[in-house]
Amino acid sequence: MQSPTIWQRMLSIDRRLLYLLLFVNIIVFLIAPIRMPASISPPVQKFYDEIEKLKPGDLVMISSNWSASTLAENQPQLEAVLIHLMRKKARFTFISIEAQSRDISYRLAERLTKTHGYEYGKDWAHFGFVPNLIVAIKGMVNDLPATIKEDVRGTPISQLEVVKGVKSLKDYKMIIDVTPSGTVPIWISYSPKGIPILYCPTSVMAAEAYTYLDSGQITGMITGAKGAQEYEQLLKIEGLGARFANAISFSHVLIIVFILLGNFAMFMNRAQARREA
Amino acid sequence: MDWLIQFLPLNIERISVWIGVLCTAAIYSLLYRENPIYRFFEHMYIGLAAGYSLGPLFVDIIYRYWIEPIWGQGYWAWAFVVPYGMYLYFIFSERYGWISRIVIGTLIGASAGLFFQEFSSRYLPQLNSTLQKPLWVTSANPDVTGWDVFGNFLFIAILLSVLTYFTFSYEQRGGVKRVATLGRWFLMIGLGAIFGNTVMARMALLIGRIYYILSDWLMLPLGRGGG
Amino acid sequence: MSIPYLIAQWQLPQQGRLLYATLVVLGAFVLILGLVPLLQTLPPRGRRVLIVTITFLAGLFFAAEFFLPVDWTAIFPKDDPTRNFLTPAIQPAQNVLQIIGALALGLGTFGLVRLHMRNVVQKRAQWGYSVVLLVAFVTMAIFSILNTLSEKGVVTKTPLLERGFSILFDYTLVQLDAAMFSLIAFYIFSAAYRAFRIRSVEASILMFTAVVVLIGVVPLGAYISYTLLGLPQGPPPENADWWTQFLHSAGLPSIANWILTALNAPAQRAIEFGVGIGGLAMAIRLWLSLERGVT
Repeated sequence: MQSPTIWQRMLSIDRRLLYLLLFVNIIVFLIAPIRMPASISPPVQKFYDEIEKLKPGDLVMISSNWSASTLAENQPQLEAVLIHLMRKKARFTFISIEAQSRDISYRLAERLTKTHGYEYGKDWAHFGFVPNLIVAIKGMVNDLPATIKEDVRGTPISQLEVVKGVKSLKDYKMIIDVTPSGTVPIWISYSPKGIPILYCPTSVMAAEAYTYLDSGQITGMITGAKGAQEYEQLLKIEGLGARFANAISFSHVLIIVFILLGNFAMFMNRAQARREA
Repeated sequence: MDWLIQFLPLNIERISVWIGVLCTAAIYSLLYRENPIYRFFEHMYIGLAAGYSLGPLFVDIIYRYWIEPIWGQGYWAWAFVVPYGMYLYFIFSERYGWISRIVIGTLIGASAGLFFQEFSSRYLPQLNSTLQKPLWVTSANPDVTGWDVFGNFLFIAILLSVLTYFTFSYEQRGGVKRVATLGRWFLMIGLGAIFGNTVMARMALLIGRIYYILSDWLMLPLGRGGG
Repeated sequence: MSIPYLIAQWQLPQQGRLLYATLVVLGAFVLILGLVPLLQTLPPRGRRVLIVTITFLAGLFFAAEFFLPVDWTAIFPKDDPTRNFLTPAIQPAQNVLQIIGALALGLGTFGLVRLHMRNVVQKRAQWGYSVVLLVAFVTMAIFSILNTLSEKGVVTKTPLLERGFSILFDYTLVQLDAAMFSLIAFYIFSAAYRAFRIRSVEASILMFTAVVVLIGVVPLGAYISYTLLGLPQGPPPENADWWTQFLHSAGLPSIANWILTALNAPAQRAIEFGVGIGGLAMAIRLWLSLERGVT
């Protein structure tokens, strides 16, 4: 029995060693005090510019559909966007298509709005959870108070100051979709024409959305946690996005190095086998 | 010493954080190998997730759209909706199972009927946008540069070649096959972009978890990186 | 005004509403569930006709609402010119679909609980884990329903409820959910090392694009391009020569963005067109019940 060559050993490395390597790599670069400013990508810049156009008191619909499973991607986005909206003194309402995202976004907004002097009911509200987003949007376009009926705190929509006099989704100035699932096509398809849609997908979904950016069906996009870092940079704040940035960069380096190593080992192993044959 | 006192689970806040880390560690123990602790927490997770969903389902939907309108406002016609929806639960019965398909049919019919609007406002504007791309430089539109025109030609060439690759109605031979091969290569660029972004998303999720361990549990001062 | 909309407006009198409402709901349950033995007498052909008809009508409503012209004032002078006569019925239809949607989601939970109850009752292999699941389920269900009701002010928010829900939700469910999905990062890393092989033109293109995107979109790409290599950042000045213009677009972030917008977008659009046409064909097949085995 021949002892395995170094290439064979490299190819059959214990996967737990790989896991440990990734884990340590992330710890090191979360702690490492390196500063690398991001380059602002055009979709993020457009997102920022669109919110900059808002006037105080303008109403924004935030569709927050993420749960804890994509927390690290969507939380930095939602936090940065909320801070920007509150700086612009815009009012906003939430709606969620998923049960968990209802409580997560409600609790997050409750915590964040307090620090900015926003008052529930007057400056913002949460419409709760609907399992069928398509008919909810169609209903809201037709008659918003009759569709939503009451907010998470049980206040009838007609008595909620933030949406006072609002008859339809058409009265909103902007729609922001923070999501890990395919909800943005639904907003594109069923929301009233002429209201800009801004999109905060997890990175997984981002590549597919470039066709909507090209056609103007969505106006701007923040890609995952790294997009949030760019947005925080525009806002001149340091949030979760900035804190994750180094670890994201260097986990990419690690994975690229290991893809190359894996291919190199395979190549060498084959070459050796051919030589021996 | 101060750090240690703050770190230990001596008050309810710290106990909560410790529980969070315990949950994470139990799930990560799967990476070493399958074990009873992981199984325990896995089942707890499924139970919690299922139990949690009942709150929003009951209060946001059944309470808001059914109980309130009937008992609160007296719109009695709504009374029939939940019993009708309950037909779904016949799905577990062999004899009456077909009855659930009445309600499933309602849902499927509705989403099929709704798709026409989606088709017209999701796909047609994309077609429109493609057809409106300027393909030559004119004085009528001074904003369009030669580089834009090149980009537009490239855009349409990629779109058509990938669509050719997707056409399976006839055998692809000769020139068509070459275009389809080109289309496949361009498709790989799209898939490569998706793959790169997927890696980024997955890494971010793990980073978020490790951040929680370092920042909330070990209380390390992070956040000196980034812009 | 459409008929479903009008029906939804019929109201019980204020006095004795609680009693009447309860009676109506009980009556509705008896009536609708009482139909089941009657429905059961239908022959297989009749059952199919019933399902096909309901599917078609449900689709027809939304299709007609979308396709019918908006302004009907020529026929109904008092009508709202911004919507057709079916549009007001969207409201009751949305409420009905939300309720049925919620019941459908509940179906999954019901199936899960039923399965694990059986495990426990029949003492199947590893039934202990089913006990864990059921205990977690019941505890969380109670806290979740009470907490959501307390937000509405229906029940009072006690400190025990608040703290209990916070521990169960914020510090257990959220943590387990986040941890569970973050496991994929480890697997994707290990799989990329052991299985991502550059053996064909396709794999090479995919690999190359992925690497450029991976480095180009993160701050490291900007650092390498603009700090280490010293390339100029931002748009080139007006009337710049082609070399300056080239340098301004040679940074990794610009290249990654160009790949995403110029090369990736059309490929994604082609996929979208495929999905759209396929989806339309599928929608028509489902609507007309031509797709066997679904309805």
